[in-house]
Order: sequence, then structure tokens, then C-alpha cells
Amino acid sequence: MSTATAIDVLPFAALVGEEHALAARADDTVQGVSPSLVVEPADEAEVSAVMREASRQRLTVVVRGGGTTLAWGTPPRRCELLLSTRRLDRLVEHQPGDLICVAGAGMTLAALQAHLGRAQGHRQRLMLDPPVPPEVATLGGIVATGCSGPLRTRYGTVRDLLIGVRFVLADGTVGHAGGKVVKNVAGYDIGKLLTGSLGTLAVITQVALRLHPAAPDSRVVLLDDSTPEALAARVQGLARLPVTPSCVDVIWPDRTCAVRVDSSAEGAERQVQIIAARVGGRILGEGEAAALNSSLAQRPWMGDGVVAGIAAPRSRLAELIRLAGRHADEVVVRGLIGVAEARLGADPAPITALRNGVEQLGGHLVLHRSPLPLRDLVWPAAAGAAVELMRSVKHALDPQGVLAPGRHLGGI
Amino acid sequence: MDSGLVAALARAVPTGGLITAPEALRTYECDGLTGHRVVPSAVVLPESTDQVAACVSACHQARVPFVARGAGTGLSGGALPVADGVVICLTRMRAILDVDIQGQRVTVQPGVANLQVSDAVRANGHYYAPDPSSQSVCTIGGNVAENSGGAHCLKYGFTTTHVVGVTLVTPDGRVTTLGGAVADAPGYDLLGVVVGSEGTLGIVTEVILNIIPIPETVRTMLCGFASMSAAGLAVSAIIAEGITPAAIEMMDRLAIEAVEAAVHADYPRCQAVLLVELDGPRAECASTFARVEEICRQSEAQEIRVAADASQRAMMWRGRRAAFAAMGRISPDYYVQDGVIPRGRLAPVLDGIAALEQEYDLRVANVFHAGDGNLHPLVLYTGSHHGEGDRALELAGRILDLCLSEGGSITGEHGVGSDKACAMPKMFSEGALEVFTRVRAAFDPDGVCNPGKVLPTPRLCGEVPGPYRPHPLEIAGVATRM
Ligand SMILES: Cc1cc2nc3c(=O)[nH]c(=O)nc-3n(C[C@H](O)[C@H](O)[C@H](O)COP(=O)(O)OP(=O)(O)OC[C@H]3O[C@@H](n4cnc5c(N)ncnc54)[C@H](O)[C@@H]3O)c2cc1C
Repeated sequence: MSTATAIDVLPFAALVGEEHALAARADDTVQGVSPSLVVEPADEAEVSAVMREASRQRLTVVVRGGGTTLAWGTPPRRCELLLSTRRLDRLVEHQPGDLICVAGAGMTLAALQAHLGRAQGHRQRLMLDPPVPPEVATLGGIVATGCSGPLRTRYGTVRDLLIGVRFVLADGTVGHAGGKVVKNVAGYDIGKLLTGSLGTLAVITQVALRLHPAAPDSRVVLLDDSTPEALAARVQGLARLPVTPSCVDVIWPDRTCAVRVDSSAEGAERQVQIIAARVGGRILGEGEAAALNSSLAQRPWMGDGVVAGIAAPRSRLAELIRLAGRHADEVVVRGLIGVAEARLGADPAPITALRNGVEQLGGHLVLHRSPLPLRDLVWPAAAGAAVELMRSVKHALDPQGVLAPGRHLGGI
Repeated sequence: MDSGLVAALARAVPTGGLITAPEALRTYECDGLTGHRVVPSAVVLPESTDQVAACVSACHQARVPFVARGAGTGLSGGALPVADGVVICLTRMRAILDVDIQGQRVTVQPGVANLQVSDAVRANGHYYAPDPSSQSVCTIGGNVAENSGGAHCLKYGFTTTHVVGVTLVTPDGRVTTLGGAVADAPGYDLLGVVVGSEGTLGIVTEVILNIIPIPETVRTMLCGFASMSAAGLAVSAIIAEGITPAAIEMMDRLAIEAVEAAVHADYPRCQAVLLVELDGPRAECASTFARVEEICRQSEAQEIRVAADASQRAMMWRGRRAAFAAMGRISPDYYVQDGVIPRGRLAPVLDGIAALEQEYDLRVANVFHAGDGNLHPLVLYTGSHHGEGDRALELAGRILDLCLSEGGSITGEHGVGSDKACAMPKMFSEGALEVFTRVRAAFDPDGVCNPGKVLPTPRLCGEVPGPYRPHPLEIAGVATRM
């Protein structure tokens, strides 16, 4: 797809060791763009040296964590070098007493959760359940895509959990922002800038994250109703109740809404009773709830259809369900916060129709997972002063366009 | 100042919206960091986004620096004018533009006071969560710029969690929106960078806020301890257990003494008190509250009082809120420090501060947001005693060093401003500062927007700031610090 620039491999081999500067193979291809070289630096200093060398050779670089979301965004215009964060996989610290941890960007989500689980006398977790396989997806990748799952309803996204970040710019400059304390206003919040930046601004090398205790118990209520309006009315009724659900996911065409409460045994029981009494619904037994829970985060990602991320005003819930129901095969709406994920076929017409509809509601749609022929539909139209500012920020941090050029909104 | 610019500013704002008379300009010479003072060349009071944009454009064209200003309660000199520059004061933009209860959004102009937002939605069962102690006066624009916190941000998050969109006038006078009422705006999260940028990336002229339902129930307790470290250990134990109270505030003996002298809040006479508040669904709150009580007992609390009703709760908070203003009762002068430490390290850091008191032969009163490790040590001194002010300042600096040595931060909520710009290299590497500089230049390539703040400059860092003086609001009793 792209004309590869000739790479001088030797300097990279000298920096990271020959066994970590490898000729790229077919499965290293990024959205149809084939790199020549895969480099696996061992630490931040090596990342910096690799980036400096790549800039010097005027190569373009795509960062790969677990490779689970490399298809997000538009294809990079070029990519000669794939920088793998695989070896940046160390747990730097876990402070259970402070509910924070610091880890290398290449650590997988599952490995982190396993480490946290091993802390004696604590049951802490990173409250993120993104729709990617946790044994493969890395922390850095999750931050770079900003992806999240059902838990977002209660704990927010990675934006809300990231308290510090270390990173390397295209020219090798090593930067950091935030720290490892939960409250901190010193310096610009570069962590938020990098969240969702799809590797176009910097290589994330290390993250500090806020943790939460895992609740001892969990109960699920299913709210069923036949029309989007009736279902939406129940969700809006739920919003007024004195309950704190972790997940409120409307699933269509299943005509149901899964409400999960994570709390103490007593707290969870009382809350589901309140919900059932006030907005109706069926409290699930343990087995049924467990089965539903394990599938929740994966819907609507099962199979390999196109998945769109949608956001719309909270108050337009019924219209959003109806609209998505019309154009998508399956949609999950986080009912309390106005975001949704919808699975569609590869036909552009329903995607465009859904996008137009969502925009009329005052929202927007981005394709997360989509095949190459749909690349022009990935981002909504981008214009205006905000996009100009985004371009300026990209230019300020990566003036030569080294990092995944073209992958982000508006060809940034 | 260039007469062309003055004329352009006069055209940009309504009659009466341009101030150039020297006496009138003095009102704007400082913010809450009263030791730093600079008289600006002009102050404008625009009333709309377009007027702000016109003022900014005029300054930008003339390459004259400008500084945004809200209520001027900032404690780090963020709104300190630039000599020969213009202050753009947003206090005439104080309309609440839209209230959407179902969508849980309120859209305001930047000059709206923090508390007005909650006042506007309380009848509908909602409120705006971030609650700086200055909330009756400080503006939403200032809150956005400082990413302000408050006692209840422990559970609900700081300003950045609750601001979902802004209209920004960029430093060259263009108008843009970042974020919006709807989540996940495509593209980079520039909103996340603008919040907390201390007015250095542009002027915010409209803000969309997230409001949340008022919790079903609130429970509050006051616990007395025989030592600060015992109270610190109790806080660490509560946090480590995974309990997130709505607030955990801590005060030491000196602070309690001052408060008792000032407002007679009837606090236990002991070495340290914790004020712990929980809120949420009744079902959740009751069991957690009992558990917190148990933890405090295990941590050897000498006395535990539970507020039986709203008036007792108000009394407990009254003591806490009065703490800063009350310092005048025990010391003629004081310097407020703002630093952060990991929450598991409260006890050793408090011991470290006690050691510094000895070393400097000065008293330090501690009043702070213990739940998120945000310390506000008040270094007490007598300005009229030769050299004591300088010693106090030095001691305050040593406390920051202590915070940093524990892996903490030089500011948790008051911001860097002009006060701590020179301390930034203690916390951030050269590379990190370079990144900040580049991001800033992406928004403001000509360096006209609040220059000299946040990032160190040689000119700035050669100067020594003056001592702390109480903010006029504190003297007037309108607000207390933090
Ligand atoms: C008694 C007292 C108690 C306090 N308690 C707390 C507390 O509990 N928690 C806390 O976090 N802070 C506290 N503060 C600090 C202060 O109130 C906050 O920082 C507040 O957000 C400042 O708001 P302001 O309107 O006074 O802003 P100003 O002081 O006028 O300005 C602050 C900064 O914001 C910028 N700015 C103002 N408006 C805009 C705008 N529209 N667009 C862009 N930039 C803008 C200014 O340039 C400046 O850098 C306290 C201060 C006092 C005096």
C-alpha cells in the first residue's frame, strides 16, 4: 500500500539487541500498511533512543501493545517501523493502602489484575472492562484508545482513572505528567491528552492508575420491555432511585436492560429490591447473573462485524435505541450516560444512516472496528477551530509526523 | 499602552467596560496571593463571548499580554496581571444559560459563582459536586482554570470530572468549542488539557457542567485522637479498606485551638480531629458508617461523636470551615502551603512537619483534606519580627520538598500560578517541562496568554515573592481558605 522507505536496521539492532529488532512479518501489518521492522525496546531509555533514531532516519512509527485495537482509527499513511511495548511489562508498584498502582505500558490488563489480586488482605481492581481480550490487551493500548466497558457507568473511563503517565515523543524527548497521587494540579494534564490519541502524539511507556476495592457481592436485575420508549422510561426512573449501579446496559434487540449492583451482600440485595420494587424487573439467580456478566463486556463485539461508538444526549435514550435498532444488528446503550456501541454489517448505507440520525439527536458516531473499505467512514466530518487546535498540538509534539500519521480524526 | 489598542478595547466592550484610571486599576493588582502585586495597563469587562474574542484579538494583534480573571480568589497568583498588559475580567458574564435536569447538564457563563449552580438545581434534587470553600464567590471560569477541588471531591472527583464542555476563545481570538453536552467528542481530549491550565491556553467563555442527584442520606462524625499520627493511621486504614467517604478532613491541636477561640464549634480538646462524612443510598451508608466508626476505635480514637441531625452536622463543618480565618486568633501572620502526599504516608509526613517546626522554631497548624492526601500546612509567623517571614516561607518550601520526597505533588488544588512556577523543576524533568512548553505554544504561539504563569521563566525565577497576607474575603468573613 505504501512505498517503504529504506531502513537502516543496524542502529536499531545496536540499541535494543539484534533479537529485538526483527524483520516484520505478514501479521505485523497495520490496516494494510506493512512495516519493515519490529523493534522491541526493553525500557523507556531504549524507547527514547529508538524514537530518536527513527526520527533521524525520517521513518514513521506505529506503536503496538497487544495489537488488539490496531484497527481502530484510519490506516496510517505510512509505517516503516512497528514499536512494540511488549517488554515494558513490569509492575512498578502497587500501593494497596493508597489504592494506586504504577505499571509499564506493555503490561496486559489481565497481568495487572492478577498482581493486584495477589496483594494479601486486599481485593483491589482496576475498574476497567474494555471490550478487548484482557490477556492480550495492554495498559498502554487501553489508554491510547480510551476504550471502556459496562463499568464506565460507575467508575468512568480510563480518563478518570489515569493519574500519571510517562511517555516518549517522536524526537525521543522523555516526558511525564501527573504523578502517583490522586489529587494533583501541577502542570498540564497530558494524561488526558494521550488518552484516546491512538499513538499519534507519543509512545506511552508507563501509567499510574487509581484502583477500587472489588465489591464482595454483586446482583443483577433485568428490566424487560417491548418498546424503546418503555425501556427508556424505566432507565430514567432508575436514575432517580437511591442506588449506585455499576452497569446499566440496554441491549437491543434483546429488549432488555441489565442492571448490576456491586456492593456488600446486604447492600446489593437491598438495592436490587429497591429497583425491582420501583421500576420493575426480574432479579437474576446466581448462575444466570454470572452467565450474563461474563458476556456483557463482549457485546456487541462478538463476531467480527463493524462496531461503532456512539454518544447522544442522555435525555434522547428512547430515540437512540430506536434508531440503532433500525440500522444496527445489535446495540448496547450505557443508559445512564448516553453512550453506546453498535454492531453493523459492512454495508456503508446503514452506517451513514445511523450516523446522520445520531447527529440529528445532537450526538456523534465513530467507527471503532471496521474493515479497510470503510475507512472514509471511520471519523465524522472534521472541521472548525477545534480541529485546527488538534493539528497544532500534533505539530507541536510530532512536527515531522513520525507517529502513526493519518490515524486520527481529520487525517491527523 | 498603545493608543490604538486602547481604542480597539473600548470598541470591543460596552460603555463602562474599559478601565484605565490608575486608582481603579489597583483593584485588580493581585488575586488571593496578595504578596505579589502588579498593576495592569487596562482592565476590560466583556459581557459576551464575542466581546471577549474582540478583546483577545486586539491584544493579540498588538502582541500585548492579557490575563483572564474571575473573582480573584486564586491562591497561586494565576490572575496576577502582567505589567503593561490587559486584564480580561469575566465577572459580568454571570448568566446561567441553560438547565437540563433530565440530561443532568447546566450551561453557564464563566462569571457565575460556583454555589449559584447548585442553587439553580437544588429544587430539582440535584447539585454541582465540586465545593471549594470559596464557593460562594469564586467563579466557574476560575474553577475550570484551576481544576478546583473541595472537601467532597474525595468521592465525587474534581472540577475536571464535572466539566463536559467549554467554549474557548483561543489566544489569537478565535472561538471554538471543546467537548460538549454529549460524551466522547471525537478527536483529542483538548478539554482535559484546558481544565487546570490556569488560564494559559485561552479564555473560557461558556461551560457545560455535569450535575448529580443529591444523595439520599448523609452521615457525619467527629473523632478525637491522642496524636496526629494516630489520626493519620486511621485515615490510611479507612482508605485502604476501600471505603470512599464523601469527605475526610483533619485538623491538629493548634487548628482546633484557633477554631474554638473563633467559633466555639465545641470540638473535642485533643491532638487531632477527623471529620468524616459518608453519603449515598441509605442501605449503603449505614453499614459503611458503622465500619468507619470501628476503624477509628481500633485506631485508638479517644472520642467519637456522631451528628444526630443537620444542625449538629452544620456545627461540625462550621469548625472546619472557620479554620483558616481563625488562624488570626493565634498568629498575626501565616503562610498557606498546598501539597499532596500518598495517602498511606500521612503519619510519617506529619512527623516530618513536626520536625521542621523544631528546626525553624516556628509553629505549623495543619488543616487538610486528609482523604486525598492534600495537605494545607499553615506556617504561623509574626511579620513584624525581623526575618520571620522569610523563615516561614523557607519552611513552607521544605514541606513541599517533603511531599515530593514521598512521591507527591507541589499543589493539589491551589495551582502553580506565579507562586510555584519556579518549583516546577523540582517535580518535573526538563523533558516534561519541554512538553508542557510545546503544548502551550500549540495554543499560544505568540506567548500572549497569561505569560509567566505555571512554567518557570528565568525572569520570574530570579525574584523573591512577598509574604502572605489574608485575602480581603477572609478578613470580611465571606469565605475561608480551602
Ligand atoms: C478563602 C479562600 C478559600 C479557598 N478555598 C479553596 C478550596 O477549597 N479549593 C480550591 O481548589 N481552591 C480554593 N481557593 C482558591 C480559589 O478560590 C480557586 O482557585 C478558584 O477556582 C478561583 O476562582 P476565581 O474566580 O477567584 O479565579 P481567579 O482567582 O480570578 O483566577 C484563577 C485563575 O483562573 C484563570 N481564569 C479565571 N477565569 C478564567 C476564564 N474564564 N477562562 C480562563 N481562565 C480563567 C485566571 O487567569 C487565573 O489563572 C480558595 C481561595 C480563597 C481566597
